[in-house]
Amino acid sequence: MLSLLWLVPTLPFLGFLILLLFGDRMTKTLVGIIGAGSVGLSALLTMVIGYQFLASPPPDHAFTQVLWTWFEVGGFRPEIAFRLDALSLVMASVVTFVGFLIHLYSIGYMHEDSSFSRFFAEMNLFVCMMLVLVLGDNLLLLYVGWEGVGLCSYLLIGFWYQEPANCTAAQKAFIVTRVGDTAMAIGFFLLVTQLGTLQVQDLMHKAGEMWEPGSGMAVAATLLLLGGAVGKSGQLPLQTWLPDAMAGPTPVSALIHAATMVTAGVYLIARTHALFALAPSVQFLVAVIGALTLLLAGFSALVQTDIKRILAYSTISQIGYMFLALGVGAWSAGMFHFMTHAFFKALLFLAAGAVIHALHHEQNIFKMGGLAKQLPVVFWTFLIGAGCLASIPLITSGFYSKDAILWYAFSSEGGSIWLWMAGLAGAFFTSIYTFRMVFIAFLGEPKGHIHHRPGPVMLVPLVVLAFLALFSGFIELPHNFAPVQMFSNLMDTVFHSHGHSHEEHSSAALEGILQLTAGIVSLIGVAAAYFLFLKDPSKVEKISSTPAGSFLQGFLLRGWDFDRLYDTLFVNPLMALARINKGDIVDSLYNGLASLTQMGHYRLKWIQNGAVRWYAAGLALGAVILLGVFIFT
Amino acid sequence: MNSADIIALLPLILLTLATIAVMLAISFKRSHGLAAGLTALGFTATFLLLPAISRVAPHPVTPIYLVDTFGLFFSGLLLAASLVVTLLAYGYYETRSGFREEFYLLLLMSAMGGLVLVGSTHLVSLFIGLELLSVPLYTMVGFSRTARRSLEAALKYLVLAGVSSAFLLFGMALLFAATGSMDFSRILEMGRSGDASSTPLMAGLALIGVAVGFKLAIVPFHLWTPDVYEGAPAPTTSFVATVSKGAMTAVLLRLYLLAGGVIPDSTVTIFSILAILSMFTGNLLALMQNNVKRVLAYSSISHLGYLLVAFLAGGEYAVEAVTFYLTAYMVTSLGTFGIIALLSDREGEPELLQDYSGLFWRNPVAAGLFSLFLLSLAGIPMTAGFIGKFYLFAAGVDHSAWLLIGSLVINSAIGLFLLPPDCRFHVCRSRRKSHTNPSAGKRSGKPARADARFCGYFLVWGLPRVPDSSDPQRDNRLNSAYHSF
Repeated sequence: MLSLLWLVPTLPFLGFLILLLFGDRMTKTLVGIIGAGSVGLSALLTMVIGYQFLASPPPDHAFTQVLWTWFEVGGFRPEIAFRLDALSLVMASVVTFVGFLIHLYSIGYMHEDSSFSRFFAEMNLFVCMMLVLVLGDNLLLLYVGWEGVGLCSYLLIGFWYQEPANCTAAQKAFIVTRVGDTAMAIGFFLLVTQLGTLQVQDLMHKAGEMWEPGSGMAVAATLLLLGGAVGKSGQLPLQTWLPDAMAGPTPVSALIHAATMVTAGVYLIARTHALFALAPSVQFLVAVIGALTLLLAGFSALVQTDIKRILAYSTISQIGYMFLALGVGAWSAGMFHFMTHAFFKALLFLAAGAVIHALHHEQNIFKMGGLAKQLPVVFWTFLIGAGCLASIPLITSGFYSKDAILWYAFSSEGGSIWLWMAGLAGAFFTSIYTFRMVFIAFLGEPKGHIHHRPGPVMLVPLVVLAFLALFSGFIELPHNFAPVQMFSNLMDTVFHSHGHSHEEHSSAALEGILQLTAGIVSLIGVAAAYFLFLKDPSKVEKISSTPAGSFLQGFLLRGWDFDRLYDTLFVNPLMALARINKGDIVDSLYNGLASLTQMGHYRLKWIQNGAVRWYAAGLALGAVILLGVFIFT
Repeated sequence: MNSADIIALLPLILLTLATIAVMLAISFKRSHGLAAGLTALGFTATFLLLPAISRVAPHPVTPIYLVDTFGLFFSGLLLAASLVVTLLAYGYYETRSGFREEFYLLLLMSAMGGLVLVGSTHLVSLFIGLELLSVPLYTMVGFSRTARRSLEAALKYLVLAGVSSAFLLFGMALLFAATGSMDFSRILEMGRSGDASSTPLMAGLALIGVAVGFKLAIVPFHLWTPDVYEGAPAPTTSFVATVSKGAMTAVLLRLYLLAGGVIPDSTVTIFSILAILSMFTGNLLALMQNNVKRVLAYSSISHLGYLLVAFLAGGEYAVEAVTFYLTAYMVTSLGTFGIIALLSDREGEPELLQDYSGLFWRNPVAAGLFSLFLLSLAGIPMTAGFIGKFYLFAAGVDHSAWLLIGSLVINSAIGLFLLPPDCRFHVCRSRRKSHTNPSAGKRSGKPARADARFCGYFLVWGLPRVPDSSDPQRDNRLNSAYHSF
């Protein structure tokens, strides 16, 4: 069965091809069947392969399938090969399974849309590219997938391209991530030229042999890779594109900008963890970036009024947690939070989408209200998602995954009390803004009018995701609870000794106290949200009506004014330069070359005059030259 | 003559039999399908026999003809190309009236000439092969008897090829006078050791170089190319572009191998200049050209210039680079001319670039394939042309032939400028009434379309498997070719 691995990305690709070529002529039902079905089959296959992988692990807990060699010239030998290990298995499972649920949901959500088949074609292509990214065995495939998902993200953010704002958002996402991608590409070149192989595993191996820990090469390479990772994952300082990316249809936000693509940066760092282990300073930087981002984005989420933007900022903040985990060497905790986050954030987005759909594209939470009674299933599933996001103790998966991160942020070698406190403060704000959303949008007085209720095709994915969001946490419990560490045991096959050396110098009691603190903090956050936004909203209004308050609100609403900063620093100077160089000085060089060649053409044209005697003379002339050269040299 | 000799000569014998069969068939009953079928059968059967024959290789049949894996590989290449030309010709002539069957007769004989060339180790067989290859071509070029340009092209080709043959013969005579031998390896040996008197020897080589340059259309012997390409019927053009040039390249490659993979320094300089001139002349002339067949003619001039780079760079990669580049070039050329033949109808061939505008909307498959072939000619990644160019660059960089590499880079850029606009042309909806009939693609027969498609598949899917370790057969052939000397 493992040998069917190649089919996992191929199936969505086939779906993409079919929809691309024939989608226009198909009925919407057929488009839905092919679009969701191809990903569904891929998910099923991934599960079967995953089961076999877990039941009878291949040697070294990794399976590599070489499909073919692209070409081989002078020792350069790029292979088209997929690699399945615990890390890529978890990523691929989440991508296909959550992807399938979102595709299913989209059948209902996008049903009215006139570009129904284009939507599914692009979504299928995205799933394929994401799978290439996580399954690729070498940097080349990784890069293909990385850019492929970037392209799909661009296409899908600008899906409703008739609206200029959407196109601007798409361009912003593409250009900002490009900054990181360029750094990453340079990092890849550096790795390939220094270590002489494309294969990721060989790279890690050779880096360990050739580079001293903390050496300049390792620092440079990891810094460049980190550039790509922060771009893709919306971390400081390249986080500005993600809130605007919400311009795309909500299923897109759920799949690409919450569950899968934006975590590609986390995957990249986890995949190259051995390199980061060689550069402790950069690894610490990862943790700092994560901590700062989770705080900054958490603050911004507090004041947003657009439900999707709240979720977008919370995504940035949650990925900040993953970075924090990676930064302190808790690789498996970071991946665990990736998984639970994929479930509950996809759930939150889809439930928010159901609300938006029902209210006829209303996204402002202050125009919602009282939806709990009108849309009960959506409310309960949203509540479960919100509980996970706010990491309500004991019952939600978010608690277990976030708790693991907080614990390692405190106790591991790379951790410190400051990182732990940042994470804790972030958790506090998370539960405030999460339940602010719940209280304002779902409780209180009804304000909007329900246009259409979500059908079963939209509700089933919600329920399945709610189930996963609640229970996926129980496969990995804290050490002091019970010896259930299925997830980290699985991950250890990839990360080996890294990240788990810190268990000895820690006590169960300390861990318990920290857990208790974290739990209480999130509950206080919920209570604060209750008092501030449901029971007595007048206090908040009073604060925000003061000059300082309204300034702060605007400042946070605009995401700490990063856009304005970048506009002043980069965009405007660049635009000014572009305006100065309207005629394009560089172009004149190429135009000159072009006219030079054109002139060459006209100068040469006369030799083809069609006269045989002239042609024969050419022969004779050539003969004379050859004779001369051969005889006299 | 023993049985091994017979086996080794089987390709030639089979093609002779096929020629006689076609001749008899024509005299008993004129049937276009029968003639084409017999020809295709002859080529296929011969092609399929090659692996069996490789068991007796290397085997010299008489001192003038050597059957070895090198020759067999190129025989296979030429036979496959000839088969494709047969299919093209069938599709092409099926829509035309008049005597068509003789074309296959000529095709068979000319292909036989190619097979003689790739096995030749002696001046005599070189000459016989070259003439056998060329003489039927004169008629094939002028086969559209009622078209003025076709006849004009035939006449020009006849006159100029006659001149080049004269140079060849005189060169041979000089070589024989200088060395007293007509055997390649003997001549080369004497040339190296300096036993022979140097002036007649060098003069002889120079004159032979003229003939080779003429066949390959290297500057300044290239002048005939555009006129002949344009005037000849599309199947003939594809034959001239592939089989004729391929056979000549094989001869060059064999000489190169016999010389031990070394080219004397004096020769390197002049050939470098010719290569660079060919690249620039071909590309520059093609630049503003509006006639597709002329564009392809000019582009073939520059491609042969590129090919020389691989030779000149020398070293162990050269054989591999030349072989790969040639194969890719042959496939792509056959494909492009195949598309032209495919889109031709009774009124003529779609010659001007405008005829192709909006092609995508009339015949998406042909437009897609045509674009693919053109992209491959330009050397865009994922196509055979790219890997071929990669080989050239690798070979050149390996030997620090920076001038050649520089010209290659510049010319690749000009080539790029040249070809993709054609692809764009396919998609633009033309407001002008196009010369080509919308149903043209449908009318001109399935075989042509089938083989065009086959070439397309080869380009996209065949290539990833070509590079060395993944294709042991080809590699072995090359290696044994290399070691058999």
